Amino acid sequence: MISLLRSLSWPEFRHHPWRNLAALLAVMLGVALAFSVQLINQSALSEFSAAVRSVNGEPDLEIRGQRGGFDEALYARVAQMPGIALANPVIEIDTYAFAANGERFALRVLGVDALVTAPLAPALLPRPTANADRMAIFDPDAVYLNAAASKRLGALQSRPPQQAAAAGLPWHPAVRLQTPEGSAAFRVAGSVSAEGAPLAVIDLAGAQSHFGWLGRLSRIDIRLAEGADRRQLIAALALPPGVRAASPNEATARISNVSRAYRVNLTVLALVALFTGAFLVFSILSLSVAKRQPQLALLGVLGLTGRERLSLVLIESALLGAAGSVLGLLLGTALAAGALRWLSGDLGGGYFPGVRPALQFDALSAVIFGLLGTAAAVVGGWQPARAAQRLAPAQALKGLGSSGDAQGAIWLGPLLIAIGVLLALLPPVFDIPLAAYAGVACLLLGGITCVPAGVGLLLKAVKPPSNALALLAIERARHQRHTATIAVAGVVASLSLAVALTVMVASFRDAVTQWLDTVLPADLYARAAGGPGGGDIATLPPAFVAGAATLPGVARAEAQRVVQIQLDPNQPNVTLISRPLADPAKALPLIGELVALPEGETAVYVSEAMVALYGAAAGKRFELPLADGQRLPVFVRGVWRDYARQHGAVALAAADYQRASHDMRLNDISLWLAPGASMPAVQDALRRLASATGSDGALLEFASSGEIRTISLRIFDRSFAVTYWLQAVAIAIGLFGIAASFSAQVLARRKEFGLLAHLGLTRAQVLTIVAVEGAVWTASGALLGLLLGLAVSVVLVKVVNPQSFHWSMDLLLPWSRLALLCAAVVACGTVTAWLAARSAAGRHMALAVKEDW
Amino acid sequence: MLNLHGLAKHHGSTPVFDDVNLEVAAGEFIAIVGESGVGKSTLLNCIAGLDAVTEGTVHLDGVNITALGETELALMRRAHLGFVFQAFHVLPHLSVANNVALPLLLLRRPDAARVAEVLAAVGLDGLGPRLPQTLSGGQLQRVAMARALVHRPKLILADEPTGNLDPATADRVMDTLRAQVREAGATCVMVTHSQAAAARADRIVTLTAHGVADHLASPHAEAFSA
Repeated sequence: MISLLRSLSWPEFRHHPWRNLAALLAVMLGVALAFSVQLINQSALSEFSAAVRSVNGEPDLEIRGQRGGFDEALYARVAQMPGIALANPVIEIDTYAFAANGERFALRVLGVDALVTAPLAPALLPRPTANADRMAIFDPDAVYLNAAASKRLGALQSRPPQQAAAAGLPWHPAVRLQTPEGSAAFRVAGSVSAEGAPLAVIDLAGAQSHFGWLGRLSRIDIRLAEGADRRQLIAALALPPGVRAASPNEATARISNVSRAYRVNLTVLALVALFTGAFLVFSILSLSVAKRQPQLALLGVLGLTGRERLSLVLIESALLGAAGSVLGLLLGTALAAGALRWLSGDLGGGYFPGVRPALQFDALSAVIFGLLGTAAAVVGGWQPARAAQRLAPAQALKGLGSSGDAQGAIWLGPLLIAIGVLLALLPPVFDIPLAAYAGVACLLLGGITCVPAGVGLLLKAVKPPSNALALLAIERARHQRHTATIAVAGVVASLSLAVALTVMVASFRDAVTQWLDTVLPADLYARAAGGPGGGDIATLPPAFVAGAATLPGVARAEAQRVVQIQLDPNQPNVTLISRPLADPAKALPLIGELVALPEGETAVYVSEAMVALYGAAAGKRFELPLADGQRLPVFVRGVWRDYARQHGAVALAAADYQRASHDMRLNDISLWLAPGASMPAVQDALRRLASATGSDGALLEFASSGEIRTISLRIFDRSFAVTYWLQAVAIAIGLFGIAASFSAQVLARRKEFGLLAHLGLTRAQVLTIVAVEGAVWTASGALLGLLLGLAVSVVLVKVVNPQSFHWSMDLLLPWSRLALLCAAVVACGTVTAWLAARSAAGRHMALAVKEDW
Repeated sequence: MLNLHGLAKHHGSTPVFDDVNLEVAAGEFIAIVGESGVGKSTLLNCIAGLDAVTEGTVHLDGVNITALGETELALMRRAHLGFVFQAFHVLPHLSVANNVALPLLLLRRPDAARVAEVLAAVGLDGLGPRLPQTLSGGQLQRVAMARALVHRPKLILADEPTGNLDPATADRVMDTLRAQVREAGATCVMVTHSQAAAARADRIVTLTAHGVADHLASPHAEAFSA
């Protein structure tokens, strides 16, 4: 076999290096994209998990409350329990710090007891600076920053004031942190070694006094005594309602779970290139086999068996795939390293906040993706290998090719389509739409497999025309439809994926635009904190909200409270939104009708994710966990669309929430301006009002509905930018496939062109035949690609999206964009065919009748 | 009918042949023989206007075809020439009948009856709907012959028409070609290495690098002159 590869395959490769390199590059690109996505996600997850471990330490057990924490009296009881070797009380606060340039950034503050934290979480042990006194670790006004926080607070490197330096007094830079009362200055007394996002460690008592946590704790980390039974101990603890024993790995497992669908979707998108690459291998090897038919036939006559011919072509495809895969792994590693360096590890999903991971090469993943690339090439090479196996040597030597086109099983295409539809109807596997993805692959393969039979069926009704050029084109299409299918397979695959992605992104964008219209009814929005993290620290005083409605230029004001609650420890927090809901049908982008509220019950309106993740469909009841272990039974009146919170949101009337929780704090305010009111003037008035009512007006963040809409859509477009690149890559590979196919087919038809020249066809007529054939076949491929793409887009929009992200949307078909896409592909295909014919049907094409192989 | 005057063909500085002068009368069947590489097939291509001559002229029915442009040459071939090749060159995706009908279709004169008539004349009656893959070598050459005759061309150019056939089949094919050319009243210029095939011609011409060397009358010459 090696000698055959050397004498038959290698010369072929050397003769058409660019064509074979194109197949190799397609495999390389597919493997590189998929492997880089895998490496980036893996590195980010690993870095996140290391950061969580360093912040949480390595306790055997954690006792956790809801977001508001639990009574610290529990700590005294836990610390004295037999079977517990160590108990470390911790307060977790999400707030904001102010950088030297005045910019506000998210900072996690951990209140710890320095005396007990060292054995459980050494990374949180405060390390005072050289000039700090030893008791500084108990100073309630001193903070210890990790590297990320120090970096954000760049000005901390500044020198001490001259007076302090002259007097030889100890001096520490200060940092201002946002507190419930506004802000407070803290002394930076040293550092902590904890990794990950910006973090500050403070003495437990300091955290309680500065951040309104007096008498409360967030969690207790526990190390069990030797031989202690974990289960018995948890039972003996008799934890109060709202407090539970949790595994220390919960955060990592949760982030891995919630980001899984996103990671898988990215990987599948990246595999699009590999999928079209397999078609390119298919096209190129098919044509290579067609071209080498006489050689293979001669070898067949000389004793090379069909099985050996099959093996030869399969080994060729495997070698192409292996070489492409190795290059792909190298490129993928480089891409991942670049992406981690310049784009951090997030890839736009927002699942790994603050993480800037280093590349972690994984040999097992490399082997898996390398094998995947090789397998894709072998799958692409299977059909041509079978054609080489089935070759009839005698016919081929007579120059008559095989006896017509190979007749594939005509039921295979429809069967694959039917399987594809069935798979698309199946539920997700491990919260990933694996069945739907397999369904998409089956739909594409089935559609392409149907082409020859479909064309045959169509042409059955067409009588041989009396026009010579039409006769040549139609009879060729009738008898050589399998060969033509090879040429357009790449276009069908790439165009259908491009169409599917275009429809999916357009539908999603339209749905988000409509959703923004409903959720942004006011003119101006103001909030005290930039995100959900600081929702308990950065709040608006009730007096401010009351005063805002009476300001000149303000027609109406509505405030809302946003709280994070935990319904399931294995799931991320759910956002509870308490707001005025006099007319929920107008205020929320509802899906379906509202259910009548039973007498005496509390109504809530849940997002689609709540239905998918917690089964909280309309008409169902569940309990909302509130502070101090309280639980509020609620009735789901309706379901609304929420594209902002993937893990679930519950909207509740403000009056109901305040009555049940006694939490009167507010975070955001929506303002409807009076006609003719000046927005800047209203903003100034609101800042003055905030300062007058006890908070810092300078900290208020404003955004008009137009600004929010623009920013939201910009973020959307940025998130989906990668899909446009993938579409471009897929289309480019598809077009290269058609170029390679047409040029090889045209070369193989040189004798036919020579004969036509003898019969009196001009070169222009020959070029016209080929260009028209190219146009017709590319148009057929484009039409089929469009139809398949629309079918795949239905699966993406109606199955993959809801199963991955738990939100639905309506299908929107951007016809003009799709028509443009198809027209561009047809134009490129036609020009490609014409160019290929131009080089093959040169001035001496008539002499081709004398050519021997 | 066909007049070659001072014809020369060079590939760069390498001469293929020089100073070929030949006259072929209407209805004459001549065979051109010569050593391999002397340019017999190239001469046929020059006569058909498929290959440019270096020097000299080719007149067909008084028309200097060496002065014609590409399109006029194509139209001339379409209307007035028929070709028979050694390797048959039938299109595998067209039926036998469609292969034969192709010249008529190019002339926009579809004529199924004429196709059937020619097929019958070359002994392929009833094989019209079949695809070429199902035919033997001898049958394929007869398809090619039918295609060369179907539009009643003035001149038939045959390049080694029996080169791929066994002697018995070659005999039968030559019988058919000779009879049909005579029947159609066409002129035929055949290039061949086969003595047996050449013997069927009215006249045998030997091509050398320096022109046409001999003009041997074949046994058929009498019949022709008669």
